Amino acid sequence: MSLPAANILTTASVAPAAEVAGPAAGRRWVRNLEIAVPATILILLLFFCFIWPMVYPVPKPVGGSLTTVNLPLWSKGHIFGTDIVGNDVMSRILYGGRVSFEVAAGVQAIGLVVGGLVGLVAAYRGGWTDAVLMRILDVFIAFPSLVLVLAIADSLGPSETHVIWALSAFSIPAFARVSRAAALRLRDQPFVVAARLSGSRPWRIMFQHLVPNMLPQLLTFSMLGASLTIILEGALDFLGYGIPQPTASWGNMIASGESFISVYPRYVVVPSIFLLVTAISLNLLGDGLRARWNVR
Amino acid sequence: MSSTSVPVQPASRPGGAVAQRLAGLARSPALRLSGRRLLAAIPVLWGVTLLSFLVMNALPGDAASAMLGINATPAELRAFSIQLHLNEPLWVRYGHWLAGVVTGNLGQSLASGHQSVASIIGQRLPVTLELVVYALVITLVVSIPLAVLCARWPRGIIDRLSMLFSMGSISIAPYVLALLLIIVFCVDSHVFPSIYSPTSTVVGNLRNYTLPSIVLAVPLVGFYTRFLRADLLEQMQSEDYIVTARAKGVSEWRVLTRHALRNSFIGLLTVIGLNLATLIGVTVIVEQIFSLPGIGFELLNAISNRDVPVVEGIVLVFGIAVVLANLLTDLLYGVLDPRIRHVASRR
Repeated sequence: MSLPAANILTTASVAPAAEVAGPAAGRRWVRNLEIAVPATILILLLFFCFIWPMVYPVPKPVGGSLTTVNLPLWSKGHIFGTDIVGNDVMSRILYGGRVSFEVAAGVQAIGLVVGGLVGLVAAYRGGWTDAVLMRILDVFIAFPSLVLVLAIADSLGPSETHVIWALSAFSIPAFARVSRAAALRLRDQPFVVAARLSGSRPWRIMFQHLVPNMLPQLLTFSMLGASLTIILEGALDFLGYGIPQPTASWGNMIASGESFISVYPRYVVVPSIFLLVTAISLNLLGDGLRARWNVR
Repeated sequence: MSSTSVPVQPASRPGGAVAQRLAGLARSPALRLSGRRLLAAIPVLWGVTLLSFLVMNALPGDAASAMLGINATPAELRAFSIQLHLNEPLWVRYGHWLAGVVTGNLGQSLASGHQSVASIIGQRLPVTLELVVYALVITLVVSIPLAVLCARWPRGIIDRLSMLFSMGSISIAPYVLALLLIIVFCVDSHVFPSIYSPTSTVVGNLRNYTLPSIVLAVPLVGFYTRFLRADLLEQMQSEDYIVTARAKGVSEWRVLTRHALRNSFIGLLTVIGLNLATLIGVTVIVEQIFSLPGIGFELLNAISNRDVPVVEGIVLVFGIAVVLANLLTDLLYGVLDPRIRHVASRR
């Protein structure tokens, strides 16, 4: 780290974030809504997926009765009807949602920790460490990730944990890039230089000075990433490498509905709507937080 | 990352000897950039092939067991894997394959008789290329005018509707979109075929590719419209040349399309270049749904057949495509903005 102290004087301004004074109080409630609406939808979805089945006698998602097969929407006791083997569709949506949210959380957490660390260390250490880590990342980026994911999913066998490991192949390089860019912008800021000059240890600079300033950007990114993860999880199900039947997941509900698409489009449409609403909410929340925290 | 800077070169003097012209060519920033980037791509591509070789090797089962099925006797399996050279150690097989690639030979498919990998890729690649190009054309034709309209009347009705559409189109899963399109266009009215059927007519060919291309294009339209709109609005609010143009009395439309839009193409190009890798990933899913016999379709087949040479070949093609797309993006910068040609090129 050879940074002349004079940098403190020359780079004294923290990236002037063009403060737009225009949208004043009148627009503030719109700004709040942009975060509140998707956050409420997500909290409701999480509540219905994780807590509702514990407090309300929701039918089981598997082992439905063959006497009540193919019930239409809004049937008594089965709001979304039943599927081709008599399982309650509503219940499969709820339990499938659990899978989607768990996979999204797991993949983003792994990406945030592993990728975030790689990017942070690469940016802070610079030099050879940076060059080597970035070349390895280049390989992962030039490599069609879907191949890696399919191969990992195929070799480990279909299960929820394995899907999480497989999809981390997407999230780790992505987080590493974002984290490296964020750390590079911060590295030469006056407060970091000051910390370095005052003799703080590298790990202390990284975790006490850099990480707190990078978190808003990484968290925003993880919202957008979570929406992508949920979509990709469905894609794995769709290609037959994801969550195996009879366990419910939105992806495999859509995939198995494909066979009956001309007769019963609802088997595809109902889970698709939930998938779409979840993805839109995550994207909106990410955008809203990005505007709120003023990160790029 | 170390950013090597190209020193500013004087333009090659006109009317010299051939040698001088060649020397001038060798100093051309574009050529130097291409040369450097292609050299830098070699270790990356090598890493990609090594990674896919290791991954394929880690998969349970091999080509012999995949092809003979579960009823094969151990003796048959053993004989067949010797025939396919699968009994040799990993490094020997990889070295053999790599030596072939360096001399321009991608090897032979294990699964489909003794067809060469190059000929398989030659058959499949045009399908995927047509799909990607068709999708990009749809994307640009829709998103550029849409973004201009949005930027002309920000917060207007078109702007709000298109932002709504963008959010939906970015969030929709490709397989969901594909199935919805099939419900609308194929189940009751047979406007487009839901499964690829070989034809020789141009119209039939375009009909085959239309739905898959729309699936690829829709998320891109949302993404590019948002991007272009933001870029145009930023320029219209803050740039000096916009103020100058307006002061000259140039009409607002003309300012938007001639002065602002041209500058936005540079950013758009970067985004397209970066997106290409993702786009390739999506083609695998789309080709599977619509049974398009493209390179992604072949890739899934090859993975399940454990046909390592074919997987390696396709992964190499994908890797080269990403590297070339990035290089082309950088070179086009210079065409779109002459200032960039002579400024130190940073990566």
